[in-house]
Amino acid sequence: METMDKEQLKQKLKEQIIQFLNLTDKKPEDIKDDEPLFGEGLGLDSIDSIELIVLLSREYGINIQDPKEGRKVLVDINTMADYIQQHRTK
Amino acid sequence: MYIHQHTCISAQQTFGEIELNTVKESVNNKLLAVEPKYEGIPPGILRRMGKAVRLGVGAALPVIKNNNNIDGIIIGTANGGMEDCIKFLNQIIDYEEGMLTPGNFVQSTPNAIAAQAGLMAANKSYNITHVHRGLAFENSLLDAMMLLKENQEAKYLVGGVDEISTYNYNIDYLEGWYKKTATVNTALYTGDSTGSLAGEGAAMFLVSNNSSNAVAYIQAVHSIHTTDTTQLSSALQHFLQKNNIETEDIDILISGENGDNRLLKYYKAIENIVHAPAARYKHMTGEFPTSTAIAVWLACNADKLPAHMFKSGDNEAAPENILIYNNYKGMQHGFILINK
Amino acid sequence: MSRIVVTGIGIISAIGNNAEENRSALINGISGISNLEFCETKYAGLRPCGEIKKTTQQLKDILNAHEAGVTRSSLLGLHAFMEACADSNLTPKQIAATDTALIGGSTVGGMCVTDELYHDANSDEEGSEYLASYDCASVNLYLQQRYGMAGIINTINTACSSSANAIIYGARLLKNGLAKRVIAGGTDSLAKFTINGFNALHILSPEKCAPFDKDRKGLNLGEGAAFLILEKEEDAIGKKVYAVLSGYGNSNDAYHPSSLSDAGDGPYLSMQSALQTAGLSASDISYINAHGTATENNDAVESTAMLRLFTSPPPFTSTKGNTGHTLGAAGAIESVFSIFNLYYQEIYPALNFNNPIEATGLQPVLKYQSHPIRHVMSNSFGFGGNCSSLLFSKIS
Repeated sequence: METMDKEQLKQKLKEQIIQFLNLTDKKPEDIKDDEPLFGEGLGLDSIDSIELIVLLSREYGINIQDPKEGRKVLVDINTMADYIQQHRTK
Repeated sequence: MYIHQHTCISAQQTFGEIELNTVKESVNNKLLAVEPKYEGIPPGILRRMGKAVRLGVGAALPVIKNNNNIDGIIIGTANGGMEDCIKFLNQIIDYEEGMLTPGNFVQSTPNAIAAQAGLMAANKSYNITHVHRGLAFENSLLDAMMLLKENQEAKYLVGGVDEISTYNYNIDYLEGWYKKTATVNTALYTGDSTGSLAGEGAAMFLVSNNSSNAVAYIQAVHSIHTTDTTQLSSALQHFLQKNNIETEDIDILISGENGDNRLLKYYKAIENIVHAPAARYKHMTGEFPTSTAIAVWLACNADKLPAHMFKSGDNEAAPENILIYNNYKGMQHGFILINK
Repeated sequence: MSRIVVTGIGIISAIGNNAEENRSALINGISGISNLEFCETKYAGLRPCGEIKKTTQQLKDILNAHEAGVTRSSLLGLHAFMEACADSNLTPKQIAATDTALIGGSTVGGMCVTDELYHDANSDEEGSEYLASYDCASVNLYLQQRYGMAGIINTINTACSSSANAIIYGARLLKNGLAKRVIAGGTDSLAKFTINGFNALHILSPEKCAPFDKDRKGLNLGEGAAFLILEKEEDAIGKKVYAVLSGYGNSNDAYHPSSLSDAGDGPYLSMQSALQTAGLSASDISYINAHGTATENNDAVESTAMLRLFTSPPPFTSTKGNTGHTLGAAGAIESVFSIFNLYYQEIYPALNFNNPIEATGLQPVLKYQSHPIRHVMSNSFGFGGNCSSLLFSKIS
């Protein structure tokens, strides 16, 4: 497991989200750490939430099965980064 | 059925500033569409769109914007988002049916184009996608013509769109429908070989029964499936007879000739009946299943058809009757009769 | 204007190889949902499906269809097509005539041969026998060639409402005088492609699906095909007539690529416009064959839409508990079931239902019963918001 401080992780995560969801009009600095991913903030939808769960699986080896668990994790960049730090297997 | 608005995204300069006299050249046996910036599509929506959806929605937007209450959206597309379809398939195989991202799957269904156009126009009326390969657009026109008989006051968006993806290019190439050697579009008709050049594009039309200020009138559409030139000839004669058109009344034949020497006999059979100047368009668009949508767009611009399109004769000053004939893969034949 | 009538039906699904077997399974509340035996996927055993228990080779042998490149979707389509044509006593000459149209809906088409498609799309080696078979049109082009059909041929893909729209288009061809008889329906087979697609969206149930149940866990995919023979009433004198196709509606939900709006505008509008074309009011409807896929989203929204249109909805069932969701074929398969309701004056029990959805409280029919039926509505809603409703009525 590579070590990475939290700020680096968040930066990396933003880049991955942009690439994974093809957010071509966004740069990492456009996404605030506490900006909601869904609804008002980034404006993602239910398909995106599934794509993000696949991202966590492919990039960090985290398999979220329960959609309720997913909703707790996929709130904003902070919650995602916290969860990754605690649960990553790669 | 009258055409009131017509838009087209193709490998030529057909969207925005129209310039048909100079032919953009094909690259690697493909004529890729010249895509506009799609300023009317919000980035959050554009990010999900595959090329076929972009081309279709991009061409439809100017029509949708100018017309609030369209009574239906009718799209012809043989393959829809083929790129997304195979991207999802590749995920299935590459990740061994593991965790897959569903975005490609959702975008891969051919009805995604009409659906996305409906979504962007907040249009809850009739919405359909015809996918009958080389006759998907002809069937869409027929649908619109029936709808206008059923609903006299209505207006519809009707169009055709298909994309070249790496994958459908590969499949059609393996099946022998594209040239095996490097060929440029400007020399498409001069060789004697099988296959054509790959193409893509979208053309959209606003149609209604209202004759005032119309661009063109679609009088009739007919399609048949056959490999027999005699059957084809008699189908054309029957079609013209039924529509009270003498062969000499036709001012231009827009022909789907595509440089494939196996299909020439069908185009010759038609030219043996219709002696009007024959204008070809596949060197501009390449071959794809719904290319006749672009042929109809060209017919809307019949008075400015460039000289490089004409195989025989010249463009007459004010062409009135135009016949479009196209053949797809030797099997599917479509006739579209247009009056200016 | 003269009415459009159904003079022949053909069907194959996980609950039977013909009309009689399908009806008998519906009466007896038999489910065709099982573990996959023939469709190769990692999810065999994990995601039950409505699989037809015949191998593709067996289908080829039964149908004497040994042409290169014929896929399972085409074979299922051919099976139902032959039954429908025979049921309506169509001669080979009539089938081939210029005034006979073939309109079919499909979403999977030839993509059921998923591994070959992967190869042909990515490889520069020699192609497989299926190069011309992957698209949705391949099914109808196969039937066209096999029977030398000279009339209008069309293929429609509006996802899960494809064959409902094929039937609507067929009826309109008759009304517009563009055909004298129409063979309309659809076909789809199970495929690794769709199983993984719906699974990636987390809407495949690990158990037998429970349409309209509070605790439903998603849909089961199915496979099958069905065709109807449609004619004008005046052209069907002396023939067996099953039902009248009295109304139809097509509307778009215009909300989201893969889910329906909470208010159910698309479903509401398609049902409403079916009533309008038939000149009927909501209270005239005796029974609804619901779309009822058993996903969280569909059943909640469809219930809401039914409550909006019908003050007190008539008896309803989703037969997807029997067949699974047969995607592009569902509209045609469920049209045949709706025709059974009318012709035999009976309604079929919903399977796997325990408790109603709290917000709407709607309960499907739970027991087989003889029931006077005059008008049946059949709903089909698809991805892209493509909603269609058909209305079948008793002939007299």
